[in-house]
Amino acid sequence: MKPVNFDYVRPRDVEGALRFIANDERAVKIMAGGQSLGPMLNMRLVQPDLIVDITGIEELRQVEEKNDTVVFGACITHADIEDGRAPDVTRGALRTVARGIAYRAVRNRGTIGGSITHADPSADWISILAALGATVTLRGPEGSRSIPIENYIMGALEADLRPGEMLVSVTVPRLSAAARWGYYKSCRKTGEFAHAIGAFLIDPERDVCRAVFGATESRPIVVADARRLLGDSSAPSAGFDSRLADELVEAGGMADPIDRQIHVAALRRAVEQAGAA
Amino acid sequence: MNTINLTINGRATSAPCEPRTHLADFIRETHDLTGTHIGCEHGVCGACTVLIDGVPARSCITFAAACEGASVTTVEGLDEDEITAELRVAFSREHALQCGYCTPGMLVSARDVVLRMEAPTEQDIRVAMSGNLCRCTGYVGIVKAVQAVVADRRARGIQPIPDGGRTRLGPAGSGNAAERGAAPAPATTMNGAISASAARPASVAQAENWKPQTTFEQSFTVAHPVDVVWGFFGRVEEVAACLPGASLNGPARDGHVEGQIKVKVGPISAEFHGAADITRDEATRTGVIDGVGKDRRSNSTTRGQIRYAVRQAETPGETRVDLTVGFTLSGMLAQFSRSGLVQDVANRLIAVFVQNLEARLAHQMRGDAGPPPAAGEFDAGSFLSSVFLGQLKRLVGRFFRRN
Repeated sequence: MKPVNFDYVRPRDVEGALRFIANDERAVKIMAGGQSLGPMLNMRLVQPDLIVDITGIEELRQVEEKNDTVVFGACITHADIEDGRAPDVTRGALRTVARGIAYRAVRNRGTIGGSITHADPSADWISILAALGATVTLRGPEGSRSIPIENYIMGALEADLRPGEMLVSVTVPRLSAAARWGYYKSCRKTGEFAHAIGAFLIDPERDVCRAVFGATESRPIVVADARRLLGDSSAPSAGFDSRLADELVEAGGMADPIDRQIHVAALRRAVEQAGAA
Repeated sequence: MNTINLTINGRATSAPCEPRTHLADFIRETHDLTGTHIGCEHGVCGACTVLIDGVPARSCITFAAACEGASVTTVEGLDEDEITAELRVAFSREHALQCGYCTPGMLVSARDVVLRMEAPTEQDIRVAMSGNLCRCTGYVGIVKAVQAVVADRRARGIQPIPDGGRTRLGPAGSGNAAERGAAPAPATTMNGAISASAARPASVAQAENWKPQTTFEQSFTVAHPVDVVWGFFGRVEEVAACLPGASLNGPARDGHVEGQIKVKVGPISAEFHGAADITRDEATRTGVIDGVGKDRRSNSTTRGQIRYAVRQAETPGETRVDLTVGFTLSGMLAQFSRSGLVQDVANRLIAVFVQNLEARLAHQMRGDAGPPPAAGEFDAGSFLSSVFLGQLKRLVGRFFRRN
């Protein structure tokens, strides 16, 4: 249960990190909090030549609050968000979800950027951030680009990183005062990876209504215009259209009817939660 | 080896350690502080929980090098701590320990609950402590002890500190030290050192009663006639060339081939060396591939069987291929189970395989000169630089906690 004998560097800035990951002759792996990578290293599932620890990079440990967004550096931890050290502009959505990630001892080191890039479909951040309409910013040899988080996740454990690229920040839009959200995950044990996640946002002032079926074993299934899931009624939970939800999940590639049912139920509960909020 | 500087239990220390040394080993091996226990060593059981810069963290999945300059407190350093002293009394009173193995981690996590939570219910405490596993005495006494200390302190007017007193952003333990620069000479590990000396059995025909641990089915359609596709599947070298990451050591002899296949899922990689026996039935247009392989790096072995059936698709001129894949994995890679993800991987692998197959068949149909199109041209990111269908179900473990 000991990792292979890798080399270790801790660059001071993003440019330094990019220089290390540009070398494709060696197996190079970026590490942030290491709460997913650490176990894989101990198990020797991952056997890198070089670990690039990015937690020493000041830029990645910063949060910038703007008028209509907040930008989290990649190394902001779950506990930073849970405790409010990093501002939450989502009417409590991020804080509430952060509180439910793994365990406190993990949240004190696990990072938002690491969790997203690890691209486990069951990770909480992927689902809630997709519902909130967040984008990720990547930096590489060809400069910087920003893409919606649901496009960043390409499948199980696969993020859309081009050679030499790394995630530097996550941008979350500020919700308006009337916005409501819901988040429900189905777990058998506290802190474990979810079997199904439903995430929902309705923000009438910004004309946004999004729903996400998460923990799908692949990419999250995002419904960008989720009003059609709500039926005719204006009260979100009153007319949740389970049949349409089931069709959307099936079209998203989920064949097993029990899986679909759990995912539909998770989203229904998230929608109900938003209605009650 | 590098020298790591840390403050442990209030004392500045430094000791040489390899980058791969995790914090739990560092404090146990170099400082004889054996109160920090190592249980699962992959972040699940909580026995190794210590305070890093004042907040709890898993020392088995935190590398000592990443904590350069940090302040670490182990259970030994909590002797004089007021909350921990109260917890010790309560743990004794409530019989909250039996063998004591989980207790150091329990105390560190319990201290965090007492410090941060105002008036937790029994359920709240159970949730907050759920990252620490006890395997003998159970949780009733532990929960009672924590609850009693919380109630007592609140009754004495001591307020909780919800953020545990942490003011800094970023992972606990990080950000205390300066840059650590240029990588020295390449690590002298086995990485990349793959030799072809893996033992290969002469025949791999599965025993009559062999049953795979895992089986799944897949189908796809190719825009070429049945005869062409069936013929193609008979040419092992071409099939292998369409499978990303696969290569053969030589031509097939009497349906027996030897070769290797690389598997890469996210940061996980393995290279299985092995052999396969292929049988085909012209009458039913079905085939069976029996294979065994060994990944020397992880000392894992796999045994698998792929059955394929080739038949006319609904659209004339097209062919439907049905696959049944069964496999068993043993060794290190088999410790992990994450059902479902394999389907996603398999779907994407098959998409690439079909794409390569189509390209190859189209190339042959046109009678183009020159070499056939290269296999494995797969630009869906680094994910499947190579993949073997069935290996993955157990590769990707749910064992590890989230980042």
